[in-house]
Amino acid sequence: MNQYLNSLQSEWMKTKRSAASWLVTGGAFFIPFIIILIRLIKQSTLPEAYRAPNFWQRNLAQNWQVMAFFLLPMGVILATSLITQSEYRNHTWKQLHATPQRYATIFFAKLTVIILMLLQFFILFNLGVFLSVLIPFLLLKNVSYPVAVFPWLFSLKTNATFFIDCLPVMAIQYLVGLQFKNFLVPLGIGIGMLTAATFAISWQYGYIIPYSYSLFNFLAMSAVKDKPVYAVNIHLVATAYFLAAIIAGYFLYVNKKNKC
Amino acid sequence: MTGLCLQTDKLTYSFSKNEPALNDINMQVEEGCIYGFLGANGAGKTTTLRLVLGLLKNQQGNINVFGKPLKENRLEILRRTGSLIESPSLYGHLTAIENLSLLQKIYQCPRERIAKVLEQVGLGDTGTKKVNHFSLGMKQRLSIAVALLNSPSLLILDEPTNGLDPNGIIEMRELLKHINRHQGVTIIISSHLLTEIEKLVTHVGVIHKGSLLFQGTLAALQNRQLQASVLKFDTSDPVRSLRVIRDCGIEVHAETGKVVMQMMSKEKTAFVNAQLVKNDIAVYAIQTAATDLETIFMNLINE
Repeated sequence: MNQYLNSLQSEWMKTKRSAASWLVTGGAFFIPFIIILIRLIKQSTLPEAYRAPNFWQRNLAQNWQVMAFFLLPMGVILATSLITQSEYRNHTWKQLHATPQRYATIFFAKLTVIILMLLQFFILFNLGVFLSVLIPFLLLKNVSYPVAVFPWLFSLKTNATFFIDCLPVMAIQYLVGLQFKNFLVPLGIGIGMLTAATFAISWQYGYIIPYSYSLFNFLAMSAVKDKPVYAVNIHLVATAYFLAAIIAGYFLYVNKKNKC
Repeated sequence: MTGLCLQTDKLTYSFSKNEPALNDINMQVEEGCIYGFLGANGAGKTTTLRLVLGLLKNQQGNINVFGKPLKENRLEILRRTGSLIESPSLYGHLTAIENLSLLQKIYQCPRERIAKVLEQVGLGDTGTKKVNHFSLGMKQRLSIAVALLNSPSLLILDEPTNGLDPNGIIEMRELLKHINRHQGVTIIISSHLLTEIEKLVTHVGVIHKGSLLFQGTLAALQNRQLQASVLKFDTSDPVRSLRVIRDCGIEVHAETGKVVMQMMSKEKTAFVNAQLVKNDIAVYAIQTAATDLETIFMNLINE
């Protein structure tokens, strides 16, 4: 256990000033920033919107809209690939594998760092969502603080389901990123799968594509008509895909002939 | 007699079915020695060292380090080993201290080691400079610092002088000599240039096309050098000179009008000279044509 914690600390130190960490921070605040700008430009409708009883739910949906469809899966694809590619780019796999650590320790420490970065993204995004409400309120005199009670349970459930839904994307990207030296391979596979998921959204078996769950989840919580209804719980399918990809990824990683 | 720090037994490896990269490598590295692992590019040096570090899956043969099989004792062996394999393995977006700190977490060695090894390799003042902004020589020095961080008993350095200027090479040589003598660290250093490491190593292994052609002390290699050197007599009558010298029981042949024989002691040279003079043959000049170690190395790999 100590070895795992030491390895985790070591892996976390590598994210300092890394492209992946900038991506997490920048990506988390991007949509809220755009929404703040829109609100400041189109401020005439704000006083009424802030008074609406379902203001928080609408605000959350507005922020999640673009995030769920594109930025979240794309961000997970990029950040996960960047974490694994950092070792290839810096020629550090050989140094890492020449340290006295079990391969399982290295594999799970890296995986934990990616999951922690995903959590960090969710926390920063939620902070951004809150700032997208607070900043217009602080800057505009005619806008009052929302009267509606903040829906904690709804917010937590939304975050938790989106988090679960992007776990298979992360696990598959991790598996591919560990196997291929060329950054374009995990990136290409990720973009390809995401495109396939977008096309499969109206297909009754679209849930078999593991990159589609955040899209489905958003559609399920939105007011869109003709939203797809599946016979399965997509969050459970996402969890199953995540576990399967992690087991396969670990097996392939440990049995890799060349660990340089 | 010292024990063996590293021993490989019939180590064989191939990247593809028809191209064996290593053939029955029986490497023996004595404890406390500096072992120069020589070979041209692509000879199999890096493949051997990668196998020794467990970076490649062993296909055939055995590897023992510190008297223990690598397969069953990988972590214990790596805990006592420092390495630098080919190009520097460093995180470019981090500073030198940060690069060492993340390894210090894994090795759990004292934090003071970071400043100590940076000082040893002359990088004590790099401060907040990112490794991406280092020169190749600085990166190579930092890689050596990484290899030294855990106070290893065995140091494996693959072409560590790549990118170092002549001054840097001399400094590195002195540093390695120092840690070998004062800390008893066994060092395996690979290179494709004998001249680069002959002032440093005590033992030599020469690998070519995946086979170990020579292994022994530097003195044994130098003995080969002596044996390969020749003595040339420029005389007034080369044909008669050949007969006279052969009568003394010495193997000799003619080459561009000169009489050529294997290098011998001063006394024996004087004796041959006296015999020629005694037979009324004028000796104009006696020349020695020494073969340098580099030529021996080239001869070995061309045999």
